[in-house]
Amino acid sequence: MAQFLQVLLSGLATGSIYALAAVGFSLVWQAAQAVNFAQGEFVMLPAFLVLIGEHWLHWPLWAALLFGFALSILLLGLAFKRLIVQPFGPDGGLPLVIATMALSILLKEAVKTFYGAEAEPFPSLIPNGDFHIGGAVISVRDVLNLAAALAVVMLLTLFLDRTKTGRQMQAAAQNPGVAEILGIDVARMTLYAFLLNAALAAVASFLITPVYLAKFSNGESLGLVAFIAAIIGGFNRIRGALVGGLLIGVLDNLTATYVTLSYRAALPLVLLIAVILWRPQGLLGDAEARIV
Amino acid sequence: MLELSDIRAGYADVQILNGVDLALRPATITTVIGPNGAGKSTLFKAIFGLIRVRSGRVRFGTEDITNEKPARLLARGIAYVPQGRNVVPRLSVRHNLELGAVTLADQSRVGERIEAVMDRFPALRQHQARKAGDLSGGQQKQLEIARALLLEPKLLLIDEPSIGLSPNLVRDVFKVLQGLRDAGVTVLMVEQNAKAALAISDDGLVLELGRARMHAPATQLLADPAVGRLFLGAAIEG
Repeated sequence: MAQFLQVLLSGLATGSIYALAAVGFSLVWQAAQAVNFAQGEFVMLPAFLVLIGEHWLHWPLWAALLFGFALSILLLGLAFKRLIVQPFGPDGGLPLVIATMALSILLKEAVKTFYGAEAEPFPSLIPNGDFHIGGAVISVRDVLNLAAALAVVMLLTLFLDRTKTGRQMQAAAQNPGVAEILGIDVARMTLYAFLLNAALAAVASFLITPVYLAKFSNGESLGLVAFIAAIIGGFNRIRGALVGGLLIGVLDNLTATYVTLSYRAALPLVLLIAVILWRPQGLLGDAEARIV
Repeated sequence: MLELSDIRAGYADVQILNGVDLALRPATITTVIGPNGAGKSTLFKAIFGLIRVRSGRVRFGTEDITNEKPARLLARGIAYVPQGRNVVPRLSVRHNLELGAVTLADQSRVGERIEAVMDRFPALRQHQARKAGDLSGGQQKQLEIARALLLEPKLLLIDEPSIGLSPNLVRDVFKVLQGLRDAGVTVLMVEQNAKAALAISDDGLVLELGRARMHAPATQLLADPAVGRLFLGAAIEG
């Protein structure tokens, strides 16, 4: 029981990072019908931006974190929309997908070339330590990572549901034609979605990198898992992406502990196939009618 | 009121409107009739800044509003209800209404405006917490019209309001339009149910091949045998 609790919680902690990336993924999809295959690299990069602030500019950690966060929003939000997504027009389709794949390679190789291929330690914002609850040893970091990620997603959904700007973003995403005739600035709402995605990626990066160290290849599996989590949960649903991320994290840990380690990487794919076969709209999604 | 002179507009290589002239009298209902492809919906999109007017002028009152963006036109007092379903499906009815007022300068008045339009459409008050996508087709149309009225427009452009509505609801919608006209609002409507629409209209406009063929009092169009034969389905009876 104690072990199960441990495994479950650390699964939730990992899953919450997947969830942050998946939620951003689905935000960008809803706002711009853009599938971002560089999402994993979007989570890898912010940590390096912080390291640049710390090591090259010799700033204190808090300043480097702020710098990394701001630069992430600028590069992965604003520049990504303006320079990569926008030139392909409102319906980017396959060429845009390929462009984001190219971006993923570019970001990876750029970090490798300019920063190095070695894993770099990344300062932890959370003290090391464990909670002991009825025989189970649960790391403080896991608990706080999970809490932080859940809080961020909750704040995001509150923003989208409870504020006028959030509802204008929903209108722009769900029915851009209608948003336009109501005088909503659709281009600005789309930009907000990209900026929020960049912010989510940066938060995920700051939470996960202390665990895995900063490495150029960190985004490889993460991007794929985020994509799968978003599909499993329902591509057009923020809460779906959250559930998808947590589910993959937990199942991944449970399988690794109780079944086998060797098929660990295959698990998200098996889940994906199962969902596509039995519930193609995703666990929380509803079928999306598309007019071609 | 609204004055179009020699409007030309279309999509990519295809020009749909080939020089439309039209002047609406204030506080009237004008119904646009014409065959499919005559450019009725395109005319609305051109007026409302959704497609570019390539040449010609659109005037509203004394001001030139050619190619102005919807947000600006809404602020001037022009509202547009396109054909089909135009709600934000996963937001509540109340929040959909609220979105009708994003261009309102004085946001403190949104609440009272919403109350006022819900007085006109009691069904919306009853369902205000439901998701707009879960409403029936007729209720969604009422929501769209209510949302357009939130800014208290001077000119309402309404495209095919009766599609998918039961005869009772069509009567209700027409009653609302007449009420608006009596309150001083100018209405420009496209309606497939041309006879019924002309019956409540002051004027009618016959649009054919992207040009205004005839602009006359509705009673005159209804009495015109050629119009009846060509556009009002009278030929079927003969």
